[in-house]
Amino acid sequence: MVSTLEPDAADVPVIDGVLLAVLSKRLEGIVRKMHNTLLRTARSGVINNGRDFSCCIVTGDAELLTLGESLPIHLMVGSDMMAQSMKDLHPQLRRGDAFIHNSPYHGCSHAADQSILVPVIDDQGVHRFTAIAKAHQADIGNAMPTTYMFSAKDVYEEGALIFPSVKVQEDYQDIEDIIRMCMLRIRVPDQWRGDYLAALGAARIAERELLALGDELGWEVLHAYQREWFNYSEQRMVGALRKLPSGRTRACSTHDPFPGTPPDGIPVTLAVEMDAEAGSIEVDLRDNMDCLPSGLNLSEACARTAAMIGIFNSIEPGVPPNAGSFRRICVHLRENCVVGIPRHPASCSIATTNVADRVTNAVQRAIAEFAEGYGMAETGAVQSPAGAVISGFDPRNDNRAFVNQLQLGDTLGAAGPSEDGWLTLFGAGSAGQCLWDSVEVDETLYPIRVTERRIVTDSEGAGKYCGAPSSFVEFSPVACSLRVIYVTDGTINAPLGTRGGLTGTSARTLMRKASGKDTPIPPYGDLTLTAEESIIGISCGGAGYGDPRTRDPVRVQRDVAEGYVTAERARETYCVVLDKTGTVDHKKTQQLRAQTVGRR
Amino acid sequence: MYKASTTPENPVRGVRAAIDAASADLEIETRTLLGRADLLVHGTTIATNAILTRNTARTAFLTTRGHRDILVIREGGRIGLSTFDYAIPYPEPYVPRALTFEVPERIGMDGTVVAPLDEDAVIESLLEIERHSVEAVGVCLLWSIVNPVHEKRIGELLETHLPGVPYSLSHEINPSLREYRRASSTCIDVSLKPLLSRYLNDLRDELRESGFRGRLLVITSQSGVLDASDVAQAPIHSIKSGPAMAPVAGRHYASVESRSQTAIVADAGGTTYDVSLIRKGQIPWTRETWIGRPYLGHMTGFPSVDVTSVGAGGGSIAWVDTGGLLHVGPDSAGSVPGPACYGRGGTRPTVTDAAVTLGYIDPARFLNGTMDLDVAGARSAMGEHVGGPLAIGLDQAAVAVIDLLTENMVTAIEEITIHQGIDPRYAVLVGGGGAAGLNIIATARRLGCKEIVIPDVAAGLSAAGALISDLTSEYAELLFTTTTGFDRDRANRTLGNLERRCQCFIDGPGARSFDQSIEFFVEGRYLHQIWEIDVPLRQGRFDSQQDVDALTEDFHRVHEQIFAFSDPDSEIELVSWHARVRCQLRESAVGSMERTRHNAGFDHGTRECHFGGFGMLETDIVWFEAMQPDEAVTGPAIVESPFTTVVVDPGAEIRRTLQGNLVIIP
Repeated sequence: MVSTLEPDAADVPVIDGVLLAVLSKRLEGIVRKMHNTLLRTARSGVINNGRDFSCCIVTGDAELLTLGESLPIHLMVGSDMMAQSMKDLHPQLRRGDAFIHNSPYHGCSHAADQSILVPVIDDQGVHRFTAIAKAHQADIGNAMPTTYMFSAKDVYEEGALIFPSVKVQEDYQDIEDIIRMCMLRIRVPDQWRGDYLAALGAARIAERELLALGDELGWEVLHAYQREWFNYSEQRMVGALRKLPSGRTRACSTHDPFPGTPPDGIPVTLAVEMDAEAGSIEVDLRDNMDCLPSGLNLSEACARTAAMIGIFNSIEPGVPPNAGSFRRICVHLRENCVVGIPRHPASCSIATTNVADRVTNAVQRAIAEFAEGYGMAETGAVQSPAGAVISGFDPRNDNRAFVNQLQLGDTLGAAGPSEDGWLTLFGAGSAGQCLWDSVEVDETLYPIRVTERRIVTDSEGAGKYCGAPSSFVEFSPVACSLRVIYVTDGTINAPLGTRGGLTGTSARTLMRKASGKDTPIPPYGDLTLTAEESIIGISCGGAGYGDPRTRDPVRVQRDVAEGYVTAERARETYCVVLDKTGTVDHKKTQQLRAQTVGRR
Repeated sequence: MYKASTTPENPVRGVRAAIDAASADLEIETRTLLGRADLLVHGTTIATNAILTRNTARTAFLTTRGHRDILVIREGGRIGLSTFDYAIPYPEPYVPRALTFEVPERIGMDGTVVAPLDEDAVIESLLEIERHSVEAVGVCLLWSIVNPVHEKRIGELLETHLPGVPYSLSHEINPSLREYRRASSTCIDVSLKPLLSRYLNDLRDELRESGFRGRLLVITSQSGVLDASDVAQAPIHSIKSGPAMAPVAGRHYASVESRSQTAIVADAGGTTYDVSLIRKGQIPWTRETWIGRPYLGHMTGFPSVDVTSVGAGGGSIAWVDTGGLLHVGPDSAGSVPGPACYGRGGTRPTVTDAAVTLGYIDPARFLNGTMDLDVAGARSAMGEHVGGPLAIGLDQAAVAVIDLLTENMVTAIEEITIHQGIDPRYAVLVGGGGAAGLNIIATARRLGCKEIVIPDVAAGLSAAGALISDLTSEYAELLFTTTTGFDRDRANRTLGNLERRCQCFIDGPGARSFDQSIEFFVEGRYLHQIWEIDVPLRQGRFDSQQDVDALTEDFHRVHEQIFAFSDPDSEIELVSWHARVRCQLRESAVGSMERTRHNAGFDHGTRECHFGGFGMLETDIVWFEAMQPDEAVTGPAIVESPFTTVVVDPGAEIRRTLQGNLVIIP
């Protein structure tokens, strides 16, 4: 039974600024509980060590209400589409149902991000909310032991089990058919099952809490709250957008060539149009190539979200990301486009990272170009072998099979208009929410040794504000061989700076032999390392914002003292002269800067 | 109870002033008072403040080659910071990169020496360190917890080449997995050594000159006490030295006044709200204590009592954003300029101003009449910054501020209860701190708690905890094994070592104590998990397979308690073994407070106060000291004492117990 959700006008509960604040905190509290459960109880390193998961609450009408401290690329857009597909495919939802969802053709980000959806049904049978817990899996049964199938020509070569909102629980009991399919298809099945239980637990906790909240306050109050929260968020977005000037720019950010792409890679070209007076912004992604025979195609969820992240990165902070603030954003996509709406069976295996970050980068750089003091430079491209999926057999544990994504980290943070890039960002789409693996924990979990992890000198995208310097990570198997599958962008197309800011350094991938000799290897690959070999991933540096010759010389002095920048680079790139003690010589610096103005 | 203000320029003076206040009130000489004392238990925030204000020693950091940036990279993440706010600068490492030195060496995870220590290179670094006028050196090498040979050798080289410069070795100071956390503990520890030794020496001298002949003990972050000289050797123990004691006191008062084994201890001050949990009589520990904001400050990585602090208190500022949403905090008016009602130039409304507006605080008797309150100032600030923008009346605005404060506090409590599988409805809520009584009933009602205890010492809850704490120390060793392939011999050897170290403590600092105990526990996890949980051992030895089975069973039970499920089919990995030794310093627990002589000439009265959902009500005002044992008062009422005010909402019942504490049925 579905009752009318709109009560008579006279009965509409009044939601004032106080109740609005209190309820927002309570819903955020519920999402935090979901996160905590997932982190502490999950079994695979990518979730419990790297925190590569997200949770959110969506309204009964399938609109994103509360995102919490999630990875934006996971759920900003897509949570709504997933919930809608659950409703469309299963018109009779009942309490106790749960659905497993990872179909990029039905709103999921990519196949590796298995999600559990729990519809929250009140005592009258009305579907009030959907709780979603999404976690990047260690394995999903792809053709190769990786969750990033760069070489897949289509979803068949990709090989993942695709679940378009498939019912996995009824009356709170597992539908064992589904579980058995997964256990036979997914590598290290016990690890998968542990992660499934963790995600399900998170979604069920939200269900319990939301039902209690509805009982306590009444569902009409929660419904009225949703409306007011969306209106409030929309007004915050209008206020934020009105601070920018109106304008229209095009920008392009190019992903490196991979198998299945044209020889020059994938140029992502887009137009951003800002109408300050109306308080709205549009991004047009339609003028791009068709879907490719590659795992790099974006899902619709990722195409929309990536554009939105670029916008949220560019405006004043604090605007809540939900269906209300999204009303002021229009992202134009077309069908069968590499950055649009993929048509089955195009593969979207790598949709959350590589090309998605190119979309975000082009948007935030475009905004910086027409709105001084807003936007951002480009974030470094993901992801070096420090984020590879590794697999093999552990000689320390009776050759037990293992597979997992490392999160040893890439730096990557882009410079903004008022601060240097965040050092441990690890991708535009994750917004720095992922954690970096502890070297000691990784060496405990897998038969590997991390010989080196450090920051690289003179690798930052210089600017008035600098992008993050790059990271250098080297690891090797210990007393066994190790399969390493990795997908690195940014080797050819380095991240671009804005408003006079310089590019960040490009990524490099090397193999080191026992002889100590380093050989450059392709930026994507499926390798089996022997115990005498190691792989080295050097990440991109983030790009700079503003002319480096306008950087506060005291910041340069500190960069040199701390070994991030050499004195030579300080002089050549920043035109900052340091004396013998490493202190800024302000007079000489001024002179040098005056001489070079207009020469660059 | 006696209080004196902190004197940051010379903290010893503040300690002295508090003792002088006591002796003046008791009408005896300070020298006589101190001469009679056997023990002086001291809590200090000097370590925490030194870190926050970067007033620690100039410290160098030595680490394994290839891993120079352990303190720079930390563990990544920016959780809890505004997601898209990149105007927040990336935090500086605890030790600058310029003072970080790489040591050619490497130990593997199984303890094998993968690369030998290059001693010449170490000596070269030490000479370089000397040139940088470094005052302290922290050493953390990868896997030193499994094989400390290289760290120990570097310690010897430091003794030879940098004699007199304090140093700390990570395997000694915090033998735990995860290099960032261990390195952070080590560097924080050593950076505090010069300051803490100086301070504790000064304090000892001052006390000795004033006639004190007893033992000076310092409160530790592990909710115990240690001799001041031991803390000077390992000052990381003194971090959170104050707040760590509130749960000890809370546990005591919960057990005196309630039957519940589960207690939530909430210490409400002017700027922060510290909450902790007592689970089945035990105080949970954490290794994730941050100094400063999470992901922007520094994680100590050091095991300490789990006390969560949120920025919410009497000084929290209320404001309305551009979209019309009310916020309370995180900014605080502090004591300068303070709330608008202090009349010291504060113009933004605070929680205290809301309490004044609603009539909860009597302006004439605030802090025992020592400070005049500007009621008009409070009301005008509340109207201008909250009532006006929200288009609601003054009283409604003030109620809203208190409501939102309550919500912030409830969120903090839920984090430590529901998230750990504890249902707050079955917990007793223990309130402490000057602002405890303002909204404790509202907080309890939101959480569903059925019982509240406000001890007579509420305003100094941590200090009260110090009086009932024990001399404690903890030792740990790493040994990987699993429940299915359990290595009984090595486990017994490890436990034997730990027991010997505890016995040394009992024979040393613990000599002449009244009672001694050693508890053993192990950190373990299910196969593939990485976050360990603590499981107590039934004894310090595994004599048979039965003992291993008992541990397996206990692990499942504890996992179920914390996360609401267990996985009995899964193998369990055991990582780190611990022994905690406890020596009881006094024969009996603390007594109750002496009744104060100040009652400001007031016993009982009525006043108009505003209660949310009720409006203005004629409210009983009861003087705490005048309450008879077991006399019940039903809200609406206000209970006043020199240190705090308890708002008794309509329908709640409050009584003073025989022990002198307040018990409330919300």
